[in-house]
Order: sequence, then C-alpha cells, then structure tokens
Amino acid sequence: MAAKAGNWQSYKRVLLPPVRDLHRLSVYGDYGALRKALARYSPKEVTEIVKASGLKGRGGAGFPTGLKWSFMPPVDPDVPRFLCCNGDESEPGTYKDRQLMEFNPHQIFEGILISNYAISAKACYLYIRGEFADWITLMEEELDKAYAANFVGENIMGSGFSADIILHKGAGAYICGEETSLMESLEGKRAYPRIKPPFPAQSGIWGYPTTINNADTLACVPPIIAHGAEWFAAIGAPDHPGPLLYGISGHVNRPGVYEYPSGMLITDLLEVAHGMRADKKLKAVVPGGASVPVLRADMIDGVTMDANSLRAAGSMLGTAGLLFLDEDTDMVSFLRRVTRFYHHESCGQCTPCRDGTGWMENLVTRIDEGQGNTRDLDLLLDLCDQMEGRTVCALADAAAWPVRNTIKRFRADFEAKCRKAIWATETKAA
Amino acid sequence: MPSVTIDGRKYEFEGHPRLLQFCLDHGIEVPHFCYHPSMSVPANCRQCLVDIGAPVRSRATGELERTEDGEPVIRYFPKLQTSCSHTLADGQVVHTSRSSDKVARAQQDNLELMLINHPLDCPICDQAGMCPLQIQAYKYGPEGSRFEFRKTHKPKKVKLGPHVVLDAERCINCTRCTRFTDEISRSHQLTIIDRGVKNYPLTPPGLVFDDPYSMNVIDLCPVGALTSADFRFQARIWEMSSTPSIITASAKGSNCYYWVRDNLILRVTPRPNPEVNDFWLPDEDRLAYRCFNEDRPGGPEIREDGARQGATWEAACARAAELLSAAGLRSVFLASALATVEDNYLLMALARMTGGTVAGYLPHIAPGHGDGWLRTDERAPNGEGCRRLGLGPADVDALNEQIAKGEYDVLYVLEDDPVAAGLSELGAVSVILHYHNTTNRTLSLADVALPAATAAETIGTFVNVDGRAQRVVPAKAIRGAHRTLMMHMGLSRADRHGTPFDRWHNESHLINCKPSWELLPAVAGAMGHRMDYPGPRQIMDEVSSTVPAFGGATHKAMGLAGVKLPEV
Repeated sequence: MAAKAGNWQSYKRVLLPPVRDLHRLSVYGDYGALRKALARYSPKEVTEIVKASGLKGRGGAGFPTGLKWSFMPPVDPDVPRFLCCNGDESEPGTYKDRQLMEFNPHQIFEGILISNYAISAKACYLYIRGEFADWITLMEEELDKAYAANFVGENIMGSGFSADIILHKGAGAYICGEETSLMESLEGKRAYPRIKPPFPAQSGIWGYPTTINNADTLACVPPIIAHGAEWFAAIGAPDHPGPLLYGISGHVNRPGVYEYPSGMLITDLLEVAHGMRADKKLKAVVPGGASVPVLRADMIDGVTMDANSLRAAGSMLGTAGLLFLDEDTDMVSFLRRVTRFYHHESCGQCTPCRDGTGWMENLVTRIDEGQGNTRDLDLLLDLCDQMEGRTVCALADAAAWPVRNTIKRFRADFEAKCRKAIWATETKAA
Repeated sequence: MPSVTIDGRKYEFEGHPRLLQFCLDHGIEVPHFCYHPSMSVPANCRQCLVDIGAPVRSRATGELERTEDGEPVIRYFPKLQTSCSHTLADGQVVHTSRSSDKVARAQQDNLELMLINHPLDCPICDQAGMCPLQIQAYKYGPEGSRFEFRKTHKPKKVKLGPHVVLDAERCINCTRCTRFTDEISRSHQLTIIDRGVKNYPLTPPGLVFDDPYSMNVIDLCPVGALTSADFRFQARIWEMSSTPSIITASAKGSNCYYWVRDNLILRVTPRPNPEVNDFWLPDEDRLAYRCFNEDRPGGPEIREDGARQGATWEAACARAAELLSAAGLRSVFLASALATVEDNYLLMALARMTGGTVAGYLPHIAPGHGDGWLRTDERAPNGEGCRRLGLGPADVDALNEQIAKGEYDVLYVLEDDPVAAGLSELGAVSVILHYHNTTNRTLSLADVALPAATAAETIGTFVNVDGRAQRVVPAKAIRGAHRTLMMHMGLSRADRHGTPFDRWHNESHLINCKPSWELLPAVAGAMGHRMDYPGPRQIMDEVSSTVPAFGGATHKAMGLAGVKLPEV
C-alpha cells in the first residue's frame, strides 16, 4: 500500500528547517507571514484560510484548528479575550515542541501573533513546561529580540495591530497540559481540570473567551499564510494534512524528531530511524505517545500516520510520538512503567482516576513480579471500564487505554508471568 | 412549563435548576459527596452519575423528531453525566440507579474505588452513624472489595488550627473544606496538597487554620476526616440526641442542634435556616455550650445568719416574696437580655404587681466584635426582645447612685450578673437572683439565689438583631421541671436520631433548677398575687396579642424556623 505521505524522500522541511537556515530571525523572511496576514487579510479571512488548509490540532486530540477559532464569541470591546499556547509538553514519548522551541522559536511566536490577529485577541499566554528551564530561558531571550524588532508588542510593524506574548513557566505536572487545568494553573490555582461545558471559547482564562492551541499547531500557521491553504492541504494525508513532527524513540538506531508529511507509513518511519537496534525484530509500536493503544508488529502493515488509518488499525495518532519496542521487550514491565506514570501524574480530583490508577499500578506490578494471578488481568480490564469516561478530564481514559490494549494484544505475555494456579497448593485453605 | 422525565415519572420545572438539586428537592435520592448547595460545583467525587438523554431536534426544521408512535426520539449522552453539574432542559430523560443498571453499576464502581484507600476505621470514627460515605456505601456500594494491596497511608492526626484536627487517610478529596474557605468564609486558609492518591487538605506553609468559622468544615466533611478538636472521640453519634434550637451566645440567634448525652451537651452543630445562618455557625457559638454543663448550681439557697444555705423551692420563693412585700415600692427589677421574652414579660408583670421599678436590662455589647455576618457586637441573645417589650438598657451608674442613696431595699435580678456589669454598691439592698452559673459574681451577695434553667433547658422565645423571633426548646432535662411536659408530650422525642439506646431521660447530671417562667409565678403566688400561665406558649400567646411589636409571634407560628416580627 502506498504511503499517503507521497514523495516524502524529497520533502522540504518547514517546521524544523535545515540547520543552515536557523540563524535567521525567522525562516519566513522576518515574520513575512505575519506581515502578509496583517496587510492582506481580515481576521475572518485568516480563520477561513486556516479552516481551508485542514490544519488539525497537534496536541493529541486532532481538533480542526480553524473551526476551534470560529467558536470564539463576537468581539466585545469590554470583554478581554485570550489566546493560549500550550507548550506544556509532557506526554511520554513526545518531545516535538521542545525541538521547535529550541530550533525555531520565532515560528511559534509568529504563529501565535497570526492567531491572535485571527481571533482578535490582544494577548497570548505561552505556557511552557516548567522542566524545560533552559528552553524557557531561550524563549525569553528570543521573545525579547522579537519585541525589540517590533514583531510583538504595540502597533506591530506599523500595522496598527498590537499583541503581547506572555511566557509562563509551567507548574511541573503532566495534568497542566490538559487545556482547562493549564488555565487554572496559569491563574495561580491548583491545576485541577475544569468541567466542560463551559468550553474555553466561552469561559477560559480568568473566565474570558479563550482559544487554546498546541505550540506545534500554531507553528504550522505561518507556512499556511505564506504558501496558502492549498499548498498545506496537499501535504501528506488529505484528512489530516500538513507536516508532522514524528518523535521516534525506543529500540531504534537513530531516535529523534523527524519532520515529514503526515500519513507516513510506520514502516517507512522505522526506516527513517535506521531500523531496529542490533537488528532485533520489532515487537510492538506505540504510535502516538504513551496513552494511545499499542500496536503489535503484525498490525502495522500498511498503517499510515494519520487519524483514520490508525483508528482502523486500532490505535490513535495522538502526538505522533512513536515508540518502537523490540522482541526482547517485556510488555508487562513496559505496562508497569506506563501505569506508574499515570498513577504518579493523576491530579487526584476525580475518584476513579485518583484511586483507580494506583490500583492498576499495584496489579501490574504484582504480575510483573511474578505474584499475579490470571484473574488480575480480568480485574484490570474491569478497572478500565470503571475509569473510562467517568472523570472530568481524559487522564483516566489515557491511563485505561494502554492497560486495556496491552493486555488485549499481549495477553500471552501477561499470562506467562502470572502464577500458574490461583491457589498455591502449599497454602491449604484453613 | 418545561418538564423532565426522571425514572419514568414526569416533573415540571421552572428556570434552570441543576439536576441533582432538583432530584433532592423532589425526594429522589442520588448519592453524592462533593456537591453542596451553597458552593461551586466541581463534580469531582463522580458519585452522582446518571444517564441523561435529550430529545432530538431536526437540524432543518428545528422540530422534535418523533418515532412512529409520536414519542420524541431521545438521544442519550455517550457518557454518564454528573447530575450535580447538569442543568436541566425541556424534554430530557434521566435515569438514576433506580431505573438503570448501568448507572447503578457506575455508582457501585465509584464507591469501590473510593473505599480502597479509605481506612474503614468506622468503629472509632466520630462520623460513623451519620457518615455520608458509610451510609451510601452500604446503600449503593459493592458487597466487598477486590483490593488486595496496602492502602495509602497519610497523616492520621494533623492539627490544622485550634479547633480542627485532620485525619488525612479518611479524606476523599471532595474539596468541600477548601471551597468553604475560598468561597464562603474567604479566609483561603485551606488548600489541597500533593497529587493523586496522596493528596489531602492542609494549610499553606506558615498559616494556621484560625478562621473564626473554621469548624464549619467539620460539618461539611462527608467523611470523618475533619474532626473537632473539642468533640473528637467524645461520643458516638447514636448515643446522643439532637434537639433543634438556637444559639444564645450571640444576638444573631443562629439555628443549631444541641447534641446531648447523659444530660450533658457535648457539641453544637448548625441547623440550616436560609433566613438566619444558612448552613453555618461561628466557632465561638459552637464552643459556648460549656456554660450549660459546667459551674451549675446545686439548688435554691437563702441567706440565713449571714451565710447562704440550701433551701426548698417553696422556702426560697417565700423568702423572695417576703423581701418584696417588705420593700413595697422600694424594689427595683433588672430585666435580662439573656432571658427569654416570656421571662422578661413575667418579670415586668411581677414589678407591676409589687409597684416596683423596672430599671431595664444590662447590655452585653462588645464593640467591634461583630463581622457583619453571623458574629454580632451584642453578645446576648435577646436584647432586641427586651427593647420590643419596651425595656431599655439599664443605666448602671444611675442605679449605683440610687442604691447608694438608699432609694431601694430589694434588687430583683433576672438571669444576669449586675456585679460583673459594674453594679458595685449592693451592700444596702437585698438581692434576689435568678442565675445560671455559679461563676455569677452577684451570687455571693444574693439573699435569695434561684437557679434558673438555661436556654438549653427551657422553652421560650428570643428575638435576634434582625427582629426575628425564634424559639428554644429544652435539649436536656433538669430536676426542677419535667422536660417532656414542657414539650407538651407530643414533641417529647424531637431527636432526629433517637434509638432505644439513646440517653435522654436518665438521672445523670440533672441540674436542680427551674425555668424562670415557673419561678416568677411562684414568687408572685407567695405574695398572694395570681400569675396563672400553664406555660410559655400561653405567655407568648398573650405577648403576641397585646404587644404590637410581637405581632404574630406565637409558638405555633415560630415553629422551627422562627418568624420575622413587624418593623418597629
């Protein structure tokens, strides 16, 4: 089956351009896309262009970006409205935003400013994961430069449009990446996700209309404005177009972030990463960050990196952070690490997630240590039912999916580690 | 009118009610923990999940889509919804655990998860017996637990402030306490610390939970995590009876329950009344109950040969009558903002009979103490009631002077302490004193000391600063009057949680005192005057019909919620 990515070998990068281009203020000719947007388009037109480009959110949920912008209420001069850029990248196996911040910060800024213009917001909060301390320093320095060059701030490049970018250091929790809890955190509160509705477009930061986009999503906006919606829509898979940053990790020879069109064959990406380490066989792939369902090696034939293809294969695109696991991998240990993560990162607001994630870790740990019973597997699946879809945010879902699917797809591995009999013969019932 | 179908039954509604509150208002029980009607809705306990469907409207016409039978097509939400956060809309269909196995299972699952890290130390927990977690776990929870691991351990005894002690393991993180300090008392002294299963409420570093309303979080806590430093481990819930009454430590008259075991009040909790205190009580009101238990008198006394000696009630009243008769017009009566309207009314009647003077009541004002909410500058429960009877604050200096000049022979004090109020020149007069506590500084000067029933032992009316007349009923029994008779028999078991094991009417800690509405007629009778009232109810009937400022304030009308008196 042909890759939807087309002729990806000759693809020219737009998000993480070649190093020789990096030392310019912006690879798009000094905020040329922003200049173009301000000079040629009304805010509504910018939104329409982004809608036409088919850009979908890169943060994991894949919601159409232009559509999200159009949810903002009509402009009321008395009501502030905000853009929020989510740079709290913390999904395990995902490190694309960090690369963007490191190598191409101005494209994020430019994307933010164009989006600010599109939704008529005067300010954008750029929330960066607190652990990215060095990157925050870098972004601060680069932002100062942009301010000095009047690309940000009052009356940008004489256009009459003003917008500020406020950098905010994250509070060091996975949950802060959830859009509503990010806003709580930004407001100085404990990062507990909010109940929806109301959605951020009605009540976001400080209760005002807010649009929140991933940093990677916003970095896609300048090329769309510069080259047009058709150009963007023609890149990669038609239903999920544009460049994707594939964060490849695991047992491969060359892990790293690779920019290619969407819709790449998973097998091609493995080739891009120079194959499995020590020529081991592939056992499993987690295609989009730790929370998406794992795929067995025999399930990835012809599967491309776009939402529809992955859904058909039984997984999700997520953040496009691929984790390749080789034949020596103990899937129980792998799942133990994943459940440990979600147990550690559950914010503790909702009962099913707070108590369920810990219980899951207990059970998987017990199996991993050889003390588990096969009935524990059924209990784990039952727990997934008890958690999924019953909490305020999707963290419980994200914790339940890997458990459900790893057990489902590698049940033999789990059963092999369980005790052979439920009741050990030497412990006779008293 | 818009309507909603809940468990197959149709209900009409107005406005935009929240589903959970609507259910509770209509007697449909939905288990819940974090929801509280006075606070924001975080929907974090996930216990009140229900299945909700909405009628489908055609996109083209906006008309309701209908099945072949003409019934609207209902489309259910893909996930179960928390009823606390759901706003009702016309035509919606709701299934609670009574009509949906899916909902029943979800609620059961949630309770199983809630209990896995809960210590289940109900046998020693203060909350057991009236614990929402315990009750709802029995009713909606699973039969047992499948959890076979070590529970999370957290601090068992954290003193958050002077009055509140936290047992973090019991906490189910409903955030009611933190929302109370953020939204109601606004002291912002509590926050949730740590993350996930390790989290529990705590004060920020360096802060002490000394909010004047801190103890409300104890009532709000749906488990036994927040306990009262004062009441902790004192009694089991089912050993006590709770009597609905009002607070008499302030002029606000906040509604409360008195919890009694062995005729001792062990704790005071708020009783919801939206017209007065909503759901809340200040800490000082809760902790003022000690005066009902401690330093109580042993019985009536009269002065013989310079020393007070025990006497019978008849002898004491006869001595009081003797002193009053001898004094004739040269007697002065002090009313009291600490006594009921009925007692003050009878005191005024007695003064009229003897021809004595009523000098007003002793004011109990602490300027600056009030906070515009439930704490008041006036530290007595019935100042407004006295004023409405036509009594003014007594001029202590003028009275001192008059007594020093020898204008009076007898000072008759109703349930107050004039010496503490500055009335120092009492050497020349005979003092007849109705008193509550032996700490009363006038007691040593009294010629006739009549122990009076306190607000927790009598029946009567108090008027709060906002002109609301409210009734107290006896929460505990005394030796001098029969509680059950006072309550007119029929009301005798007003305790909500009464069981065959409760300790209402035993002989422990019975105080030998009488309500002033029995003492004053007895004194009048000994003087040969008739003051015939069967009880406070009839006195109040007379007051409400003869004193315009008390119009409508009969005991029947006051009930448990009180009545607003006419403006004066």
